[in-house]
Amino acid sequence: MNDFTDKLLKAFPNGLKASDGGTIELTDKKKLLKVVERVRKNFDILFMLTVVDRPPNFELNYVFSKYEGRDILILRTLIKHEESIDSITNLFPSADWEEREAYDLFGIKFDGHPNLKRILLPEDWPGHPLRKDFVVTDEIKNWTGLDLKF
Amino acid sequence: MEGRGIELNIGPVHPATHGVLKLVADIEGDTVKNAKVEIGFLHRGKEKIAELRYFNSYFPIVDKLDYVGALNWEILWASTVEKAMNLEINDRVKYIRAVMAEIQRIMSHLVYIGSFGQDLGNLTFFIWALRERELLMDIVEEISGGRLAPMYNRVGGVFYDFTDGIADKINTALSKIEEKVKKEYRAMTYENSLFIMRSKGIGIMGQKVIKENGVTGPNMRASGIKRDLRKDEPYLVYDKVDFEIITENDSDVYARFMVRVREILESIKIIRQLLKDMPKGDAKISAPWIMKVPAGYTLVRHEMSKGEGAMFLVTDGGLKPYRLKIRSPSFYSLQALPLVLEGCKVADAFVITASMDPVMGEVDR
Repeated sequence: MNDFTDKLLKAFPNGLKASDGGTIELTDKKKLLKVVERVRKNFDILFMLTVVDRPPNFELNYVFSKYEGRDILILRTLIKHEESIDSITNLFPSADWEEREAYDLFGIKFDGHPNLKRILLPEDWPGHPLRKDFVVTDEIKNWTGLDLKF
Repeated sequence: MEGRGIELNIGPVHPATHGVLKLVADIEGDTVKNAKVEIGFLHRGKEKIAELRYFNSYFPIVDKLDYVGALNWEILWASTVEKAMNLEINDRVKYIRAVMAEIQRIMSHLVYIGSFGQDLGNLTFFIWALRERELLMDIVEEISGGRLAPMYNRVGGVFYDFTDGIADKINTALSKIEEKVKKEYRAMTYENSLFIMRSKGIGIMGQKVIKENGVTGPNMRASGIKRDLRKDEPYLVYDKVDFEIITENDSDVYARFMVRVREILESIKIIRQLLKDMPKGDAKISAPWIMKVPAGYTLVRHEMSKGEGAMFLVTDGGLKPYRLKIRSPSFYSLQALPLVLEGCKVADAFVITASMDPVMGEVDR
Protein backbone atom coordinates (compact mmCIF):
# COMPACT_ATOMS: atom_id res chain seq x y z
CA MET A 1 0.00 0.00 0.00
CA ASN A 2 1.06 3.60 -0.21
CA ASP A 3 3.18 5.61 2.19
CA PHE A 4 0.35 7.25 4.03
CA THR A 5 -1.26 3.96 5.00
CA ASP A 6 2.09 2.67 6.26
CA LYS A 7 2.64 5.79 8.32
CA LEU A 8 -0.84 5.59 9.73
CA LEU A 9 -0.37 1.97 10.71
CA LYS A 10 2.95 2.77 12.38
CA ALA A 11 1.48 5.69 14.30
CA PHE A 12 -1.20 3.50 15.89
CA PRO A 13 0.33 0.05 16.35
CA ASN A 14 -2.28 -0.98 18.93
CA GLY A 15 -5.40 0.45 17.38
CA LEU A 16 -5.04 -0.28 13.66
CA LYS A 17 -4.31 -3.23 11.47
CA ALA A 18 -4.18 -3.70 7.74
CA SER A 19 -6.98 -5.64 6.13
CA ASP A 20 -7.76 -6.91 2.64
CA GLY A 21 -7.53 -4.62 -0.36
CA GLY A 22 -5.80 -1.72 1.36
CA THR A 23 -8.52 -1.31 3.96
CA ILE A 24 -7.46 -0.32 7.45
CA GLU A 25 -9.23 -1.86 10.38
CA LEU A 26 -9.71 0.07 13.58
CA THR A 27 -9.68 -2.41 16.43
CA ASP A 28 -10.07 0.09 19.25
CA LYS A 29 -13.03 2.36 18.59
CA LYS A 30 -11.93 4.78 21.32
CA LYS A 31 -9.06 5.81 19.07
CA LEU A 32 -11.39 6.77 16.19
CA LEU A 33 -11.09 10.52 16.59
CA LYS A 34 -7.30 10.40 16.95
CA VAL A 35 -6.98 8.28 13.82
CA VAL A 36 -9.39 10.43 11.83
CA GLU A 37 -7.52 13.54 12.88
CA ARG A 38 -4.43 11.99 11.38
CA VAL A 39 -6.36 11.02 8.25
CA ARG A 40 -7.46 14.61 7.82
CA LYS A 41 -3.88 15.65 7.15
CA ASN A 42 -4.00 13.76 3.89
CA PHE A 43 -7.67 13.54 2.90
CA ASP A 44 -10.21 16.27 2.20
CA ILE A 45 -13.63 14.71 2.64
CA LEU A 46 -15.55 11.83 4.03
CA PHE A 47 -16.57 10.43 0.68
CA MET A 48 -19.18 8.06 2.08
CA LEU A 49 -20.00 6.13 5.21
CA THR A 50 -21.22 2.61 4.59
CA VAL A 51 -22.78 0.81 7.50
CA VAL A 52 -23.18 -2.95 7.19
CA ASP A 53 -25.29 -4.86 9.66
CA ARG A 54 -23.59 -8.10 10.67
CA PRO A 55 -25.52 -9.15 13.75
CA PRO A 56 -24.64 -8.66 16.56
CA ASN A 57 -22.29 -5.99 15.18
CA PHE A 58 -22.45 -3.00 12.95
CA GLU A 59 -19.55 -2.58 10.59
CA LEU A 60 -18.80 1.02 9.73
CA ASN A 61 -16.79 1.68 6.58
CA TYR A 62 -15.53 5.25 6.45
CA VAL A 63 -14.38 6.10 2.94
CA PHE A 64 -12.12 9.15 2.69
CA SER A 65 -11.23 10.85 -0.53
CA LYS A 66 -9.28 13.78 -1.89
CA TYR A 67 -9.82 16.53 -4.41
CA GLU A 68 -6.72 15.52 -6.32
CA GLY A 69 -5.80 12.19 -7.75
CA ARG A 70 -7.48 8.90 -7.13
CA ASP A 71 -6.50 8.08 -3.55
CA ILE A 72 -9.11 6.54 -1.33
CA LEU A 73 -8.84 5.28 2.21
CA ILE A 74 -11.29 2.88 3.78
CA LEU A 75 -11.35 2.74 7.55
CA ARG A 76 -13.37 -0.10 8.96
CA THR A 77 -14.54 -0.57 12.50
CA LEU A 78 -16.97 -2.81 14.34
CA ILE A 79 -19.35 -1.79 17.08
CA LYS A 80 -21.98 -3.74 18.97
CA HIS A 81 -25.61 -3.01 18.14
CA GLU A 82 -26.28 -1.25 21.42
CA GLU A 83 -23.02 0.70 21.49
CA SER A 84 -22.49 4.25 20.31
CA ILE A 85 -19.51 5.75 18.51
CA ASP A 86 -17.86 9.16 18.37
CA SER A 87 -19.07 11.51 15.69
CA ILE A 88 -16.41 12.76 13.29
CA THR A 89 -18.38 15.83 12.20
CA ASN A 90 -15.96 18.17 13.95
CA LEU A 91 -13.12 16.87 11.81
CA PHE A 92 -15.01 16.18 8.61
CA PRO A 93 -18.15 18.35 8.33
CA SER A 94 -19.19 16.30 5.30
CA ALA A 95 -19.99 13.49 7.75
CA ASP A 96 -23.00 15.41 9.08
CA TRP A 97 -25.75 14.03 6.87
CA GLU A 98 -24.05 10.66 6.47
CA GLU A 99 -24.12 10.08 10.22
CA ARG A 100 -27.73 11.21 10.40
CA GLU A 101 -28.53 8.72 7.69
CA ALA A 102 -26.76 5.93 9.59
CA TYR A 103 -28.74 6.88 12.68
CA ASP A 104 -31.95 6.96 10.67
CA LEU A 105 -31.60 3.64 8.88
CA PHE A 106 -29.62 1.64 11.46
CA GLY A 107 -30.16 3.40 14.78
CA ILE A 108 -26.48 4.02 15.49
CA LYS A 109 -25.90 6.79 18.02
CA PHE A 110 -23.07 9.17 17.23
CA ASP A 111 -21.72 10.92 20.34
CA GLY A 112 -21.14 14.61 19.82
CA HIS A 113 -23.16 14.99 16.63
CA PRO A 114 -24.72 18.48 16.64
CA ASN A 115 -28.07 17.52 15.17
CA LEU A 116 -28.68 13.80 15.31
CA LYS A 117 -32.17 13.54 13.85
CA ARG A 118 -33.75 11.33 11.26
CA ILE A 119 -33.07 12.55 7.76
CA LEU A 120 -34.73 10.32 5.17
CA LEU A 121 -37.60 8.86 7.16
CA PRO A 122 -40.26 10.81 9.06
CA GLU A 123 -39.42 11.68 12.64
CA ASP A 124 -41.95 9.31 14.17
CA TRP A 125 -41.22 6.31 11.97
CA PRO A 126 -41.04 3.15 14.08
CA GLY A 127 -37.82 1.19 13.68
CA HIS A 128 -34.67 1.23 11.60
CA PRO A 129 -35.35 -0.47 8.27
CA LEU A 130 -31.87 -1.37 7.09
CA ARG A 131 -31.16 -3.59 10.07
CA LYS A 132 -31.21 -7.26 9.20
CA ASP A 133 -33.58 -7.99 12.07
CA PHE A 134 -36.12 -5.47 10.82
CA VAL A 135 -39.60 -6.92 10.43
CA VAL A 136 -42.70 -5.20 9.15
CA THR A 137 -44.89 -5.04 12.22
CA ASP A 138 -48.52 -3.98 12.51
CA GLU A 139 -47.36 -0.65 13.80
CA ILE A 140 -45.47 -0.04 10.57
CA LYS A 141 -48.27 -1.39 8.39
CA ASN A 142 -50.74 0.98 10.01
CA TRP A 143 -48.40 3.93 10.16
CA THR A 144 -49.94 6.95 8.50
CA GLY A 145 -47.70 9.79 9.57
CA LEU A 146 -50.73 11.69 10.76
CA ASP A 147 -49.44 11.94 14.33
CA LEU A 148 -46.58 14.11 13.17
CA LYS A 149 -46.59 17.45 14.93
CA PHE A 150 -45.66 20.48 12.88
CA MET B 1 -39.65 44.80 14.36
CA GLU B 2 -35.92 44.67 14.91
CA GLY B 3 -34.59 41.14 15.31
CA ARG B 4 -37.90 39.35 14.79
CA GLY B 5 -37.97 37.23 11.71
CA ILE B 6 -40.52 35.01 10.05
CA GLU B 7 -40.14 31.30 9.44
CA LEU B 8 -40.96 30.64 5.83
CA ASN B 9 -41.66 27.22 4.43
CA ILE B 10 -40.60 26.87 0.82
CA GLY B 11 -41.93 23.70 -0.75
CA PRO B 12 -42.29 20.76 -0.80
CA VAL B 13 -42.45 21.47 -4.50
CA HIS B 14 -43.87 19.31 -7.22
CA PRO B 15 -41.81 16.41 -8.61
CA ALA B 16 -42.08 17.73 -12.17
CA THR B 17 -39.47 20.33 -11.32
CA HIS B 18 -36.60 19.07 -9.17
CA GLY B 19 -38.36 16.69 -6.91
CA VAL B 20 -39.82 17.19 -3.53
CA LEU B 21 -37.48 19.43 -1.62
CA LYS B 22 -38.48 21.55 1.36
CA LEU B 23 -36.63 24.56 2.65
CA VAL B 24 -37.40 26.16 5.99
CA ALA B 25 -35.97 29.65 5.94
CA ASP B 26 -35.75 32.21 8.72
CA ILE B 27 -36.24 35.50 6.97
CA GLU B 28 -35.88 39.02 8.16
CA GLY B 29 -37.30 41.57 5.79
CA ASP B 30 -36.26 40.20 2.44
CA THR B 31 -33.11 38.42 3.59
CA VAL B 32 -32.66 34.77 4.42
CA LYS B 33 -30.95 34.61 7.82
CA ASN B 34 -30.55 30.89 7.82
CA ALA B 35 -32.15 27.98 6.08
CA LYS B 36 -32.75 24.34 6.81
CA VAL B 37 -33.09 21.71 4.13
CA GLU B 38 -35.53 18.89 4.63
CA ILE B 39 -35.22 15.86 2.41
CA GLY B 40 -36.67 12.39 2.38
CA PHE B 41 -40.01 13.02 0.68
CA LEU B 42 -39.04 10.71 -2.15
CA HIS B 43 -37.42 7.99 -0.05
CA ARG B 44 -38.28 4.61 -1.55
CA GLY B 45 -35.82 2.44 0.33
CA LYS B 46 -33.70 1.60 -2.68
CA GLU B 47 -30.82 0.36 -0.55
CA LYS B 48 -33.18 -2.02 1.20
CA ILE B 49 -34.68 -3.17 -2.10
CA ALA B 50 -31.14 -4.03 -3.28
CA GLU B 51 -30.89 -6.65 -0.56
CA LEU B 52 -34.03 -8.36 -1.81
CA ARG B 53 -33.25 -8.54 -5.53
CA TYR B 54 -30.97 -10.43 -7.91
CA PHE B 55 -28.14 -8.36 -9.27
CA ASN B 56 -29.65 -8.01 -12.73
CA SER B 57 -33.13 -7.35 -11.41
CA TYR B 58 -31.89 -4.22 -9.73
CA PHE B 59 -31.48 -2.24 -12.97
CA PRO B 60 -35.07 -0.96 -13.10
CA ILE B 61 -34.58 0.34 -9.55
CA VAL B 62 -31.31 2.09 -10.39
CA ASP B 63 -33.04 3.79 -13.30
CA LYS B 64 -35.25 5.76 -11.00
CA LEU B 65 -32.45 6.99 -8.78
CA ASP B 66 -31.66 10.00 -10.89
CA TYR B 67 -34.52 10.03 -13.31
CA VAL B 68 -32.88 12.52 -15.63
CA GLY B 69 -29.56 10.67 -15.64
CA ALA B 70 -30.67 7.06 -15.57
CA LEU B 71 -28.05 5.63 -17.92
CA ASN B 72 -25.18 6.98 -15.84
CA TRP B 73 -26.41 5.13 -12.80
CA GLU B 74 -27.10 1.98 -14.79
CA ILE B 75 -23.54 1.97 -16.04
CA LEU B 76 -22.24 2.51 -12.51
CA TRP B 77 -24.26 -0.39 -11.16
CA ALA B 78 -23.20 -2.67 -14.00
CA SER B 79 -19.55 -1.69 -13.49
CA THR B 80 -19.81 -2.32 -9.76
CA VAL B 81 -21.14 -5.84 -10.16
CA GLU B 82 -18.67 -6.56 -12.95
CA LYS B 83 -15.81 -5.46 -10.72
CA ALA B 84 -17.11 -7.60 -7.89
CA MET B 85 -17.25 -10.59 -10.24
CA ASN B 86 -13.93 -9.75 -11.86
CA LEU B 87 -15.65 -9.75 -15.21
CA GLU B 88 -13.99 -8.12 -18.20
CA ILE B 89 -16.32 -6.55 -20.74
CA ASN B 90 -15.34 -6.17 -24.37
CA ASP B 91 -14.27 -2.95 -26.01
CA ARG B 92 -17.39 -2.40 -28.02
CA VAL B 93 -19.54 -2.47 -24.90
CA LYS B 94 -17.21 0.04 -23.27
CA TYR B 95 -17.58 2.38 -26.22
CA ILE B 96 -21.34 1.95 -26.35
CA ARG B 97 -21.59 2.68 -22.65
CA ALA B 98 -19.41 5.75 -22.91
CA VAL B 99 -21.53 7.11 -25.78
CA MET B 100 -24.71 6.48 -23.84
CA ALA B 101 -23.25 8.04 -20.70
CA GLU B 102 -22.37 11.21 -22.56
CA ILE B 103 -25.75 11.37 -24.31
CA GLN B 104 -27.34 11.07 -20.88
CA ARG B 105 -25.06 13.79 -19.52
CA ILE B 106 -26.17 16.18 -22.26
CA MET B 107 -29.81 15.31 -21.58
CA SER B 108 -29.35 15.85 -17.87
CA HIS B 109 -27.67 19.22 -18.39
CA LEU B 110 -30.44 20.26 -20.78
CA VAL B 111 -33.01 19.47 -18.11
CA TYR B 112 -30.91 21.55 -15.74
CA ILE B 113 -31.00 24.50 -18.12
CA GLY B 114 -34.74 24.04 -18.58
CA SER B 115 -35.70 23.77 -14.95
CA PHE B 116 -33.34 26.59 -14.10
CA GLY B 117 -35.22 28.79 -16.53
CA GLN B 118 -38.47 27.69 -14.98
CA ASP B 119 -37.24 28.74 -11.56
CA LEU B 120 -36.23 32.09 -13.01
CA GLY B 121 -39.77 32.45 -14.25
CA ASN B 122 -38.90 32.07 -17.89
CA LEU B 123 -40.76 29.13 -19.33
CA THR B 124 -39.24 29.56 -22.78
CA PHE B 125 -35.97 28.02 -21.60
CA PHE B 126 -37.83 25.03 -20.35
CA ILE B 127 -39.59 24.40 -23.64
CA TRP B 128 -36.44 25.00 -25.66
CA ALA B 129 -34.24 22.78 -23.54
CA LEU B 130 -36.78 19.98 -23.62
CA ARG B 131 -37.08 20.36 -27.38
CA GLU B 132 -33.36 19.73 -27.79
CA ARG B 133 -33.47 16.91 -25.28
CA GLU B 134 -36.19 15.25 -27.32
CA LEU B 135 -33.73 14.77 -30.19
CA LEU B 136 -31.55 12.66 -27.94
CA MET B 137 -34.51 10.97 -26.31
CA ASP B 138 -35.51 9.65 -29.72
CA ILE B 139 -32.03 8.22 -30.17
CA VAL B 140 -32.06 6.54 -26.78
CA GLU B 141 -35.48 5.18 -27.62
CA GLU B 142 -34.28 3.78 -30.91
CA ILE B 143 -31.31 2.09 -29.27
CA SER B 144 -32.82 0.82 -26.07
CA GLY B 145 -36.59 0.95 -26.43
CA GLY B 146 -36.92 3.11 -23.36
CA ARG B 147 -36.89 6.84 -22.84
CA LEU B 148 -36.65 8.11 -19.31
CA ALA B 149 -35.75 4.76 -17.78
CA PRO B 150 -34.11 2.88 -20.63
CA MET B 151 -33.07 -0.31 -18.77
CA TYR B 152 -30.37 -0.71 -21.38
CA ASN B 153 -27.46 -2.13 -19.42
CA ARG B 154 -26.93 -5.51 -17.90
CA VAL B 155 -24.14 -7.12 -15.97
CA GLY B 156 -21.60 -8.09 -18.64
CA GLY B 157 -22.89 -5.93 -21.45
CA VAL B 158 -25.83 -4.12 -22.94
CA PHE B 159 -29.17 -5.46 -24.12
CA TYR B 160 -28.97 -4.40 -27.75
CA ASP B 161 -26.19 -3.38 -30.08
CA PHE B 162 -26.37 -0.02 -31.83
CA THR B 163 -28.87 -0.04 -34.66
CA ASP B 164 -27.76 0.50 -38.27
CA GLY B 165 -27.08 4.08 -39.19
CA ILE B 166 -27.49 5.32 -35.63
CA ALA B 167 -24.10 7.05 -35.74
CA ASP B 168 -25.31 9.42 -38.45
CA LYS B 169 -28.48 10.15 -36.55
CA ILE B 170 -26.54 10.91 -33.39
CA ASN B 171 -24.19 13.21 -35.30
CA THR B 172 -27.11 15.08 -36.87
CA ALA B 173 -28.77 15.54 -33.50
CA LEU B 174 -25.53 16.69 -31.92
CA SER B 175 -24.92 19.28 -34.65
CA LYS B 176 -28.40 20.66 -34.09
CA ILE B 177 -27.89 20.87 -30.34
CA GLU B 178 -24.48 22.43 -30.74
CA GLU B 179 -25.89 25.13 -32.96
CA LYS B 180 -28.78 25.84 -30.61
CA VAL B 181 -26.53 26.01 -27.55
CA LYS B 182 -24.04 28.27 -29.29
CA LYS B 183 -26.60 30.63 -30.81
CA GLU B 184 -30.09 30.55 -29.34
CA TYR B 185 -29.01 29.72 -25.80
CA ARG B 186 -26.40 32.41 -25.90
CA ALA B 187 -28.91 35.03 -26.83
CA MET B 188 -31.44 33.79 -24.34
CA THR B 189 -29.23 33.00 -21.39
CA TYR B 190 -25.55 33.50 -20.96
CA GLU B 191 -25.19 36.71 -22.92
CA ASN B 192 -28.59 38.02 -22.06
CA SER B 193 -28.39 41.03 -19.75
CA LEU B 194 -31.55 40.10 -17.83
CA PHE B 195 -30.26 36.61 -17.22
CA ILE B 196 -26.89 37.91 -16.11
CA MET B 197 -28.55 40.32 -13.69
CA ARG B 198 -30.43 37.48 -12.08
CA SER B 199 -27.51 35.12 -11.79
CA LYS B 200 -24.19 36.94 -11.48
CA GLY B 201 -22.74 37.44 -8.04
CA ILE B 202 -25.35 35.53 -6.07
CA GLY B 203 -25.16 32.17 -4.35
CA ILE B 204 -21.43 32.11 -3.97
CA MET B 205 -20.15 28.71 -2.93
CA GLY B 206 -16.48 29.05 -2.11
CA GLN B 207 -13.87 26.33 -2.09
CA LYS B 208 -14.02 26.08 1.71
CA VAL B 209 -17.73 25.24 1.72
CA ILE B 210 -17.19 22.80 -1.13
CA LYS B 211 -14.34 20.97 0.56
CA GLU B 212 -16.07 20.82 3.91
CA ASN B 213 -19.25 19.38 2.52
CA GLY B 214 -17.90 17.00 -0.06
CA VAL B 215 -19.49 18.77 -3.04
CA THR B 216 -18.33 17.37 -6.38
CA GLY B 217 -19.09 17.66 -10.05
CA PRO B 218 -20.08 20.80 -11.96
CA ASN B 219 -20.90 22.66 -8.73
CA MET B 220 -17.32 22.15 -7.62
CA ARG B 221 -15.81 22.93 -11.01
CA ALA B 222 -17.64 26.26 -11.00
CA SER B 223 -15.31 27.28 -8.17
CA GLY B 224 -12.15 26.56 -10.04
CA ILE B 225 -11.33 23.12 -8.67
CA LYS B 226 -10.10 21.15 -11.63
CA ARG B 227 -11.29 17.65 -10.99
CA ASP B 228 -13.21 15.19 -13.09
CA LEU B 229 -13.16 11.45 -12.50
CA ARG B 230 -13.24 10.90 -16.23
CA LYS B 231 -9.71 12.37 -16.25
CA ASP B 232 -8.48 11.67 -12.72
CA GLU B 233 -9.58 8.07 -12.55
CA PRO B 234 -10.46 7.13 -16.14
CA TYR B 235 -13.05 4.40 -16.51
CA LEU B 236 -14.68 2.90 -19.62
CA VAL B 237 -12.74 4.49 -22.50
CA TYR B 238 -12.31 8.04 -21.25
CA ASP B 239 -8.53 7.69 -21.33
CA LYS B 240 -8.72 7.32 -25.12
CA VAL B 241 -10.63 10.50 -25.87
CA ASP B 242 -9.44 14.05 -25.84
CA PHE B 243 -11.44 16.54 -23.80
CA GLU B 244 -11.02 19.39 -21.35
CA ILE B 245 -12.14 19.67 -17.76
CA ILE B 246 -14.44 22.68 -17.74
CA THR B 247 -13.87 25.10 -14.89
CA GLU B 248 -15.12 28.56 -14.00
CA ASN B 249 -13.73 30.79 -11.29
CA ASP B 250 -16.61 32.92 -10.04
CA SER B 251 -18.33 30.20 -7.96
CA ASP B 252 -21.68 31.95 -8.33
CA VAL B 253 -24.93 30.87 -9.95
CA TYR B 254 -23.80 32.11 -13.33
CA ALA B 255 -20.59 30.09 -13.13
CA ARG B 256 -22.50 26.94 -12.23
CA PHE B 257 -24.77 27.52 -15.21
CA MET B 258 -21.87 28.16 -17.56
CA VAL B 259 -20.05 24.99 -16.50
CA ARG B 260 -23.07 22.97 -17.60
CA VAL B 261 -23.47 24.80 -20.89
CA ARG B 262 -19.80 24.30 -21.73
CA GLU B 263 -19.90 20.70 -20.61
CA ILE B 264 -22.64 20.02 -23.13
CA LEU B 265 -20.29 21.17 -25.89
CA GLU B 266 -17.48 19.08 -24.40
CA SER B 267 -19.69 15.99 -24.27
CA ILE B 268 -20.61 16.51 -27.91
CA LYS B 269 -16.89 16.50 -28.69
CA ILE B 270 -16.43 13.25 -26.76
CA ILE B 271 -19.32 11.48 -28.49
CA ARG B 272 -18.02 12.44 -31.94
CA GLN B 273 -14.61 10.96 -31.15
CA LEU B 274 -16.12 7.81 -29.68
CA LEU B 275 -18.37 7.24 -32.69
CA LYS B 276 -15.40 7.63 -35.00
CA ASP B 277 -13.29 5.03 -33.19
CA MET B 278 -16.10 2.63 -32.32
CA PRO B 279 -14.59 -0.87 -32.64
CA LYS B 280 -16.37 -3.70 -34.39
CA GLY B 281 -17.42 -6.72 -32.44
CA ASP B 282 -20.48 -7.93 -30.72
CA ALA B 283 -22.01 -6.56 -27.59
CA LYS B 284 -22.84 -10.03 -26.43
CA ILE B 285 -23.56 -10.41 -22.75
CA SER B 286 -21.11 -12.63 -20.94
CA ALA B 287 -22.93 -13.25 -17.67
CA PRO B 288 -26.08 -15.20 -16.88
CA TRP B 289 -29.22 -13.47 -15.65
CA ILE B 290 -29.09 -14.94 -12.17
CA MET B 291 -25.61 -15.47 -10.83
CA LYS B 292 -23.61 -15.65 -7.63
CA VAL B 293 -21.14 -12.90 -6.90
CA PRO B 294 -18.07 -13.75 -4.80
CA ALA B 295 -17.96 -12.36 -1.29
CA GLY B 296 -16.15 -9.11 -0.74
CA TYR B 297 -16.26 -5.34 -0.80
CA THR B 298 -16.44 -3.36 -4.03
CA LEU B 299 -16.29 0.39 -4.37
CA VAL B 300 -16.71 1.98 -7.78
CA ARG B 301 -17.15 5.66 -8.50
CA HIS B 302 -18.02 7.43 -11.71
CA GLU B 303 -18.50 11.00 -12.79
CA MET B 304 -22.26 11.47 -12.96
CA SER B 305 -23.87 14.51 -14.50
CA LYS B 306 -24.18 15.90 -10.97
CA GLY B 307 -20.88 14.90 -9.45
CA GLU B 308 -19.08 11.87 -8.14
CA GLY B 309 -21.50 9.01 -7.70
CA ALA B 310 -20.35 5.84 -6.08
CA MET B 311 -21.62 2.46 -5.09
CA PHE B 312 -20.26 0.44 -2.20
CA LEU B 313 -21.32 -3.14 -2.67
CA VAL B 314 -20.92 -5.74 0.05
CA THR B 315 -21.49 -9.30 -1.10
CA ASP B 316 -21.57 -12.57 0.79
CA GLY B 317 -21.24 -14.98 -2.12
CA GLY B 318 -24.98 -15.29 -2.61
CA LEU B 319 -27.43 -14.43 -5.36
CA LYS B 320 -28.29 -11.05 -3.91
CA PRO B 321 -26.27 -8.14 -2.50
CA TYR B 322 -25.68 -8.23 1.24
CA ARG B 323 -25.60 -4.46 1.42
CA LEU B 324 -25.49 -1.70 -1.14
CA LYS B 325 -24.68 1.87 -0.27
CA ILE B 326 -25.23 4.54 -2.88
CA ARG B 327 -23.36 7.81 -2.76
CA SER B 328 -25.42 10.43 -4.44
CA PRO B 329 -23.63 13.64 -5.44
CA SER B 330 -26.76 15.79 -5.01
CA PHE B 331 -26.99 14.69 -1.38
CA TYR B 332 -23.75 16.51 -0.65
CA SER B 333 -24.65 19.55 -2.74
CA LEU B 334 -27.81 19.95 -0.69
CA GLN B 335 -25.83 19.57 2.51
CA ALA B 336 -23.94 22.70 1.49
CA LEU B 337 -27.07 24.56 0.40
CA PRO B 338 -27.92 26.22 3.78
CA LEU B 339 -24.46 27.77 3.89
CA VAL B 340 -24.89 29.15 0.38
CA LEU B 341 -28.38 30.48 1.06
CA GLU B 342 -27.30 32.42 4.13
CA GLY B 343 -27.75 36.13 3.55
CA CYS B 344 -29.37 35.91 0.14
CA LYS B 345 -32.67 37.46 -0.90
CA VAL B 346 -35.78 35.30 -0.78
CA ALA B 347 -36.34 35.73 -4.51
CA ASP B 348 -32.82 34.48 -5.18
CA ALA B 349 -33.25 31.42 -2.98
CA PHE B 350 -35.08 29.56 -5.74
CA VAL B 351 -32.47 30.40 -8.31
CA ILE B 352 -29.65 29.32 -6.01
CA THR B 353 -31.38 26.06 -5.21
CA ALA B 354 -31.98 25.40 -8.89
CA SER B 355 -28.35 26.19 -9.71
CA MET B 356 -27.22 23.27 -7.50
CA ASP B 357 -29.07 20.85 -9.76
CA PRO B 358 -30.50 18.61 -7.06
CA VAL B 359 -32.49 15.65 -8.26
CA MET B 360 -34.41 14.35 -5.33
CA GLY B 361 -34.69 10.84 -6.66
CA GLU B 362 -31.01 10.29 -6.03
CA VAL B 363 -30.87 12.34 -2.83
CA ASP B 364 -33.61 10.41 -1.08
CA ARG B 365 -32.90 7.04 -2.67
